[in-house]
Amino acid sequence: MRNLKRHDASDIFIHWFNAASWLVLLITGLGLIKNERLNPLGAWLPDALRALFGGGSAGGAVLLVIHEVAGVLWVLGILAYLAVNARGARFFLKEIFSVRPGDMSWIIRKMGRMTVGIGGELPPQGYYNMGQKAFAQASVAGGVAIVLSGAVLLLSDKLLPASATVLIGWAVTVHYLAVGLVFAGLLVHIYMAAISPEEKPGFRSMFTGVVPEDYARHHHGLWVETLDKGDTGTK
Amino acid sequence: MNQKLAMVIDSSKCIDCKGCMAACKQANGVSRGAWRNWIKEAVPPFVNGPGGSKKLGHGHFQPGACMHCDEPSCVQACPTGATYKNALDGTVVIDPKLCIGCGNCIKACPYGARFRDPQKRIADKCDYCPERRAAGLAPACVDTCPTKARVFGDINDPNSEAAKLLAANQGKVVRVVAKNRDTKPNMYYIASTAPDGWAVQPVDPLSFDFLAGVVAPVVKWAVGLSSLGVLAMLGRQLFAGAGPHDHGGKPADERPTGDKKEDGHA
Repeated sequence: MRNLKRHDASDIFIHWFNAASWLVLLITGLGLIKNERLNPLGAWLPDALRALFGGGSAGGAVLLVIHEVAGVLWVLGILAYLAVNARGARFFLKEIFSVRPGDMSWIIRKMGRMTVGIGGELPPQGYYNMGQKAFAQASVAGGVAIVLSGAVLLLSDKLLPASATVLIGWAVTVHYLAVGLVFAGLLVHIYMAAISPEEKPGFRSMFTGVVPEDYARHHHGLWVETLDKGDTGTK
Repeated sequence: MNQKLAMVIDSSKCIDCKGCMAACKQANGVSRGAWRNWIKEAVPPFVNGPGGSKKLGHGHFQPGACMHCDEPSCVQACPTGATYKNALDGTVVIDPKLCIGCGNCIKACPYGARFRDPQKRIADKCDYCPERRAAGLAPACVDTCPTKARVFGDINDPNSEAAKLLAANQGKVVRVVAKNRDTKPNMYYIASTAPDGWAVQPVDPLSFDFLAGVVAPVVKWAVGLSSLGVLAMLGRQLFAGAGPHDHGGKPADERPTGDKKEDGHA
């Protein structure tokens, strides 16, 4: 069966690099929040994570260093991807932010079908379906917010003066909100891609770079149509 | 029993020599322009003198610093746990490794005991001189006070000087307390003190109120709903099977033409 090319090596790299960065940053970040009004799951979580890295203050300091280094590496990795594959990045951004008629209907029907089993026929989708687009939009917008607020937090005790504490306080708030909302989407993303049987070929393409043509026709009909029209053949 | 380190102050003994302030800066290397402790001054009032004349009454000096409260509003405002109540000795501590210098605690302290160190760029305040205590010495301000207005010790230990002084003045001890909220400060003034009413109301910065009151619940709900959705999908997958799986939509060749995209990604 014919395979269609879907991802470059750099696309695959940035996806998994982003995933690994999120894993490290999320875990270390959860260990850095400790306040009875903010703890997502209670004080035991930061306590346990800090204990894992040496306990108390020293453990927290280790978590902070890992978080800061991983955060800077994350940004550098994304910049490297943008430098290597700016074309791919532009295509990605253009695709995820172009919502077509029928997309909203698709996402509502899809949610109905996946949870309670009703929703009816799904409108055809392009290179990304609306669910993928929504999560990608959240990741990009959230990522920008996380990086900018993170930069403020990184510099707060290195560069910023006392007059900047208002900015630092809001950076904490934005950082928390953006991570929280993207994480909510991430749960669905991981389920859809890695656990749900439907998207298995899409999941495999995040390693191989290609998807089977019939899968692509069924799941990304509008994309395959443009490929057919462009007569690009196997890619 | 755990310790409760506290300061018991007879402010009527204070002569405003500022020895405690200088000793603190010297002992702790406090940055230029910043002070961990203070002496507040009650302006002498005009009082009636003999024959209808007026004369200056007595002023009053009031030594102070971080009061190491039992219900510290600064701790409640710290997002990282860098500021916490030490369970062993009752002091309110700042962990410099975890403080990110956000300044929440500075606004949250109704006594103005905290500041952002201009060099270290993190919060700083009185810590009752842990290095000196470890060496068996009293905090620098207590040691240097020429009139012994400041008395320091573990008030949970009935044999400590501070506890004895408190016991001897039972019922006559006053505290300076924040407006509208008793943070249970551990700074005790004997008999009376002045000035009073200078402590303000503890305030959280708007960014923190918004974070704790709106953002944190919103994130909890969002993650909760998304988890529920995933569980529903997983349950359906496990118990109902993936179901009839018509891949949705009409065959590609019957569809109206979608908008063109560049052949860019391949």
